[in-house]
Order: sequence, then C-alpha cells, then structure tokens
Amino acid sequence: MAEIIEGVNPTRMELLKLRTKVKLAKKGHRLLKEKRDALIMEFFNILEEARGARRRAEENLERAFKALMLAQTSLGTLKVMECAYSTKPSPGIESYTRSIMGVRVPVLELAEVRRGVLERGYGFTDTNTQLDEAATRFEEALEAVVQLAEVERSIKLLAKEIESTKRRVNALENVLLPRLEATVKYIKMRLDEMEKENFFRLKRIKAMIEAREAA
Amino acid sequence: MRISVIGDRDTTTGFRLAGVEDVHTVASPEEAMQKFREILKSEDSGLVIITERLAESIREEMERLLEKRSFPLVVEIPDKGGAIERKVDPLNELVRRAVGVEIKIE
Repeated sequence: MAEIIEGVNPTRMELLKLRTKVKLAKKGHRLLKEKRDALIMEFFNILEEARGARRRAEENLERAFKALMLAQTSLGTLKVMECAYSTKPSPGIESYTRSIMGVRVPVLELAEVRRGVLERGYGFTDTNTQLDEAATRFEEALEAVVQLAEVERSIKLLAKEIESTKRRVNALENVLLPRLEATVKYIKMRLDEMEKENFFRLKRIKAMIEAREAA
Repeated sequence: MRISVIGDRDTTTGFRLAGVEDVHTVASPEEAMQKFREILKSEDSGLVIITERLAESIREEMERLLEKRSFPLVVEIPDKGGAIERKVDPLNELVRRAVGVEIKIE
C-alpha cells in the first residue's frame, strides 16, 4: 500500500481536487507511454541506418588507406605529405537541426568534397594517379564519415530521450499514481467515518429528546 | 562549420588530401586530449574525427566535455590497422539502455 500524501485535510474539497489530479496523471501517463513507444519505434528505424553507416564508413576508409599506401610506396611518404599539405582546403559543413518526435537532432551537410584532379591544388608534373586515387578515396571516406557522425549522434539523443521518458512513465506509474489513489481512499474513509459518527449522534440526540418529552 | 581530424600521420595525411584543413597529428591519447580541448575552444567547430585507438582511453573525458554542447559532433573511425575489437558494442549498449530492463523507482 502506497503511503498517502501528507498534510491533506480529509474534506470533500480536497477529494474533488485529488480526483482531478488522478485523472490528469492518468492522462499524462498514457500520453507518455505512447510517446515512449513511438520513440522506440523511431529508434529501431535509425538503428539499422546507423549500423549501415558504420559499415559503409569503415569500408570506405579501408579502401582509402589502401590507396594511400600505394601512393606512398610509389611517391614516397614525404612527397605524399607535401602534396597533402598543398591541397586547397574544401569548405566545411553546414549544420541544421531536425526534429524526430520532438527530439532535436543534427543534420550535417557537407559541401561538395569530390574534386577533379586539377582542382586539388597539388602539382601534377611530379605526382601520379595513385595519389589522385588516394585523394578521391579519402574524399569518399570523408562523406561517409560525416554521415556516420550525424546518424550516431541522432541515435544517442534518441536513446537519451527514451530513457528520460521511461523514467517519467515509471515515476507516474509506481509513485505518483498509487500515492494519489491511496490518498483518495483515505479521504473517502475518513469522510464515511465522519458521516457515520454524525448519524449516530443525531440518533442519540433524537432518543434523548424523545425520552425527555415522555418524562 | 569546421571539420577537425585528430589522428596518426597517415590518417591526417589522407584527410588533408581530401581537403580537410584542420588536421592534428598526435602520437598519444594525452596529446589527442590536449588538441581536443583546443578544438573545443572554438565556436566554429562542427565535427571532430578521431581514430578509435586514440579515443579509446579518453572517451569518457571527451564525453564529459561535450555534455550540454550540441556541437561539435565526435566520430570515431578506424585507422589504417582496421576497426578495433570493443568489449561492448556501443550501439548494443544504447539499445540495452533504451529498451532493456525497466527501471522502477520505489
């Protein structure tokens, strides 16, 4: 039996107030439960996407590192590094937020990173196609990694929201509602008790008055 | 917003080739953490790419610094040695926490 809320007067007013509170809590409980279920569904949708994104990013990176190694063996590590540092920087990312069931998740937009050989900015008289290949592969990998970052953040935020929603559902279900209901019951009992007392008192008085009149 | 890369020499060279300007070549997790702090100082930072091997031991510390911040996003990538074995799959851990054991407050 849940404990009752302390400091309530067993009056009819309190009883009415409590009853509306119970109703509200039940409604909130139902809504939160629905929210939780919808979030979990959304979570599983994105989960698949996240697993796919990680796999894609890992594959892309593996290919990119292989291409880089080939470039390094043909040109020498130092030459590759030198070329890398003379490439033109590409623009960064734009970010927005999107809302999934009221959870704000980030959306990253990467400006076009795939470039032609001439746009990269390193000389091409003393470089070779292996280097171009490595650069292309890393551009692809970068795209995949940016996407991965976005999905992983989204799923983390969703998981957090699910957790807090669940906690609120449980708090309502296991703490607040039983307490409210116990209090309602307590007040009802007290009111009934008072009524009974009153009734008996009236009976007694009536009996006394009748006895006096008969005397 | 800016993309930053923290990693070993090959990782930074590769991403530099792809046009990422803000790359930091580090040798140890401590150094990586220091770079990470520097990156966080800038408001413009949108994404930090870090290799798993470096992130492994500083993950908690990074997460603490990121609390309450929506940017930058941090993503861990395998380096040239490939993906590392994790004790717990971070995604499975999320699933367990989100839909796993019901937490009851008495």
